[in-house]
Amino acid sequence: MSQNFDVCVIGAGPGGYVAAIRAAQLGLNTAVIERQALGGVCLNVGCIPSKAMITAAYFLHRAQHEAPEMGFEFQGEIKVNMKKLVTWKQSVCDRMSDGVAMLLKANKITVIKGEATFKSAQELEIKSAEGVQKVVAKKFVIATGSRPIEIPGFAFDEKNILSSTGALALEQLPKRVAVVGGGYIGLEISSYLAKLGAEVEVIEATAGVLTGAADPECVQVVQKQLKRAGVKVHTNAKAKSYKVAGKGLEIRFDIAGKEEVLTVDKIMVTVGRRPNSDQMNLKGIGLAIDERGFIRVDAQRRTNLSHIFAIGDIAGQPMLAHKASHEGVLVAEVIAGQNRAYDVKTVPAVIFTDPEIASAGWTEEECKAKGHSELKIGKFPFAANGRAVSMRETEGFVKIIADAKTHLVLGVHIVGPEASNLISEAVLAIEMGATLEDLALSIHPHPTLGETMMEAAEAALGHAIHIIQRPLNKGNGGGHARANP
Amino acid sequence: MATREVNLPDIGEGVTEGELVKWLVKPGDRVEPDQPVAEVMTDKATVEVPSPVAGVVQKLLRQEGDTIPIETAMLVLETDGVESSKGSSHKAPPAAHATVANAPPPVAHTMTMASGSSATTLGTTKPGGGIGGSVDVYPPPASSKTLATPGTRRLAREFGVDINTLNGSGPLGRVTREDVIRAQHGSTGAGATVAGRPTIQMPPKAAYQGPAGSKEERVPLRGIRKKIAENLQMAKQVIPHFTLMEEVNVTELVHFRAQAKAAGEKAGVKVTYLPFVMKALIATMREFPMFNASIDDAAGEIVYKKYFNIGFAADTPNGLLVPVVKNADQKTIVDLSREISELAIKARDGKLSLEEMKGATITITNIGSVGGVYATPIINHPEVAILGMYKITDRPVWVGGEWKPAQFMNFTITCDHRLIDGAVAANFMKSFAAKVEQPSTLMLAMV
Repeated sequence: MSQNFDVCVIGAGPGGYVAAIRAAQLGLNTAVIERQALGGVCLNVGCIPSKAMITAAYFLHRAQHEAPEMGFEFQGEIKVNMKKLVTWKQSVCDRMSDGVAMLLKANKITVIKGEATFKSAQELEIKSAEGVQKVVAKKFVIATGSRPIEIPGFAFDEKNILSSTGALALEQLPKRVAVVGGGYIGLEISSYLAKLGAEVEVIEATAGVLTGAADPECVQVVQKQLKRAGVKVHTNAKAKSYKVAGKGLEIRFDIAGKEEVLTVDKIMVTVGRRPNSDQMNLKGIGLAIDERGFIRVDAQRRTNLSHIFAIGDIAGQPMLAHKASHEGVLVAEVIAGQNRAYDVKTVPAVIFTDPEIASAGWTEEECKAKGHSELKIGKFPFAANGRAVSMRETEGFVKIIADAKTHLVLGVHIVGPEASNLISEAVLAIEMGATLEDLALSIHPHPTLGETMMEAAEAALGHAIHIIQRPLNKGNGGGHARANP
Repeated sequence: MATREVNLPDIGEGVTEGELVKWLVKPGDRVEPDQPVAEVMTDKATVEVPSPVAGVVQKLLRQEGDTIPIETAMLVLETDGVESSKGSSHKAPPAAHATVANAPPPVAHTMTMASGSSATTLGTTKPGGGIGGSVDVYPPPASSKTLATPGTRRLAREFGVDINTLNGSGPLGRVTREDVIRAQHGSTGAGATVAGRPTIQMPPKAAYQGPAGSKEERVPLRGIRKKIAENLQMAKQVIPHFTLMEEVNVTELVHFRAQAKAAGEKAGVKVTYLPFVMKALIATMREFPMFNASIDDAAGEIVYKKYFNIGFAADTPNGLLVPVVKNADQKTIVDLSREISELAIKARDGKLSLEEMKGATITITNIGSVGGVYATPIINHPEVAILGMYKITDRPVWVGGEWKPAQFMNFTITCDHRLIDGAVAANFMKSFAAKVEQPSTLMLAMV
C-alpha cells in the first residue's frame, strides 16, 4: 500500500515547509517528509540557534564592557552557565520547530518522519523506526539542503572535530578553539565563542576572511573588531592534520610552506557546505546534477524530470534560507498551475559578525562589470547617528552605490549595528527601482539607525546633513562625522 | 593567465538581441582593449563589438548567422589577468545556471517510467530539455536593465507579456502596471513592444524547393537583408497601403535649386533637391498633421507628433537603409544638405549608428537618379506615410495658347489607409505640389 499525494515535499527546512504550506493553501493534497527536526538546519542547527548564542554572547560582552561606562556596578564577575545557556538556546529552536509543526497541521499537511529514497521517479520509499512506507505523488519538491563540507584528516566526530552543528551544541565552553575556515559561519561562531571567553584562532586558506562574501570595506571593520576581541586570524594558512596530545589537540597547518602547531581543546571546521544531492538515489532516477553537486533547475525550479522540482541549497547558490523560502512559494504556485518564475533583482545576504554585515545588490566591482561605468557612492558612518551613539554602537557605516547618471540604487552595503535589520529597506529600493532621491526624500524616523540609509543617499547626492561635505554638489567624500543631535 | 568570456554588450535602448554577421577575429588572434572582435547587426544597424580587455582569442562560442541575446557570451579570451571570470558577474548567480549553458542536460532514463506502481495516474516524466536557467521559461525573468516593481513583474508574467520588450512609460523608462495592461490588451493584434513594434502573427515559413537539377545557389538570409525582409513584411501586414501619384511642374524649383547649388558650392556643400522636398513636405504636414503621426495599436490611440524627423531611403551595397534627419523643420537648406550628405556617406560605409536610424516621423524615398516613372513604396512602420520622388523629365506644356518647355517631377504619397482617407491624401498632394511648383511660397513657411 502506498499513500498518494498531489505534492510530496522532501525536506522540511525553510524551503520545504514553506513550499508545503503554500501548496496546501492552494488546495493541493500535500505531504512533507523530514528525517530530522521540522525546520531543517535553519531552525535547529543553523540560523536560529547561532543567533540565540550570538545574542547571549552579546549580552555578556555588553555587560562586561559597555554597561560599566553607563554606570552599572556589578558585584564580582559576571559568569555564564553554559548548560543553562544551551538549554535556553534549545528552547528557542524547539519553539520555532513546534511552530512549524503547528502550521503544517493547521494546513492539513501530512508530515512523514523518516529517510526518503526514490525507488523510481514516481515513488518514494521512506524508512523510519516505525518501518518502511511508500509514497506516490504527482509532483515532487526536493528541498533536502546541504551539509558541512569535511576536509581530509578532519572527519567530524563532534567531539574533537566539530562542525557548526557540534559547535552550537557545546555544553562546556572550550578554553582554546581552532577554527578552520574564515567564512561567515566560522566567523559568526568564532565571535561568540570569543565573547563567551574562549581563545579563538582562525585558520583561513585564502588571503583574507569573508573572501567574496562581502564588500571589502565592510570586512575591514569586522577584521578590526575581531582583533580587538582577541580572535587571531592566520591567513594563507592550510590546515594539515591534528592529533590528540594529552588532554588537548595539536593541529598542524602550513603558512607559506612553514609548518605551525597549535594546541587547542576543540577544532571546528567551517569551510563551506555541500548540497545533499548524493543521497536519495537522485542520480539513479536520472536527475541532472551539475559538477558542483547542485540539481540543475530552470527559472521555475523544475528539474530535467518535469514533475520534479528542486529548491534551496540543493538547487544552487546562494545557499541562503530566505532564497529557499522564496523558491518554496514559487514552486508551489507553479505546481498549482500559476505562471511563476524566479525573477528577483537581488538576494540580500547577512552576516552576524560583530558588527553585522548586510548587503543587497551589487558591489562597486559588479556595477562596473554590469556597464555602470560611473557611480555615485555615498557613505554614512554610524558614529554620526544619534541612536547608534546612544546605543554605544558606533562602528561601521552604510554605503550606497548608485548609477551616476540615473541615480538608480544598485547596491547597498552595511556594516554596523542591526545591519541585518536595516538591509530590508535596501532590498525594497532595489526591487522597486528606487533612486537616491527616493531614499533621501522619504522621511526616516528619528532617532533610529534607519536614518543612516537616508543620510547615505544624501551623501551620494553630495549633501548629507550630519557629515561635513564641501563643496556642495561636488564629489562624495566621506567628510568628518559628528553626532546627530 | 586566465580566461574570460566576452559578452554581447547592451547596444542601445530597446535592443534585446543581435545577429552575428561576421567574426573579425579567429582563435589564436591577439586582441587589444576596444579592438572590434565581431560585427553584429541589430535593428538596422551593424555595430562592431569591442573587446573589453586584452588577450588571446581562445574559442568562438557563436557562429556567423547566430542570433545572440545581449549580455550573453560570444567568445572566450585568454586574458593577461589573474582571475577567471564569467562574462557577467551578478552577485551570487545561481550556480546551476552559470554552467548549464555549456553542457546539455542528460536525458532522463526512460526506464524509470516502468517501475512506478500506478504510472498512468502520475505526472509525465519527459526527458527534459531546457534546463538552461531562465531562457526556457516564458516570459523570461526581467533583465538587470528592466525597471519594474516586483508586483508589476508578476502581473506581466501572469499576462504572458515579456516585460523586457516593453517600453516603460514611467520615470527612467520604468515599466508600469498600466504599460503591462496595455501590452496585454494589444497582444492579440499589434502590441506595444520594443520601439512600438507590433507583435503580429507571421505567416508560417514556407519552404521553397526548385526543380531537381536546376542551377540554383543558396545563401543564408541574414544581416541587413534579413532585417529588411522582416520589417517590410511586418509593415505590409499591419498597414493597409494606398498610393496616390501626381506630376508636378518643377521648372521654377530647378532654377531655384541651380542658384542654391552654386551658392552652396562656395560653402562647400552640395545642394540637392531633397532638402527642398523636405521643406515642402514639412510645411504640408503642418497643414495635415495626420501625416506626421503613428497609430499605437496597443493603446488604441493616434499619436500626433510635434516634431519632424525625416527619414530618407538610402541605397547601400548592403541593402536599403533609412538614415534620419532629426528636427528637419529647424534646419536650413544648407544644414539639411550637409547632414544628408554626411548621413548618406555613413550609410554607404556601414557606419550609421542605431541612433541615426531611429525616430523618423515620415520617410522620403528618392529613386529619381536611377529612373522609373512611379513606384508604390512600403511605409516604414510605425510611420503612416512615405513620399516618393522620381526623375525630372523635360516636357512641353500648353500655356496661354502655345507650347512651352517645362520640367516635371513625379511624386507619390503612400498612406496608411487606417488613418488617412483618399480625399485627404489628394488634398495633401495638391497642397504639396503647389509648394514644390512655387518654391517662393515655400519661403513663407520657412523657419
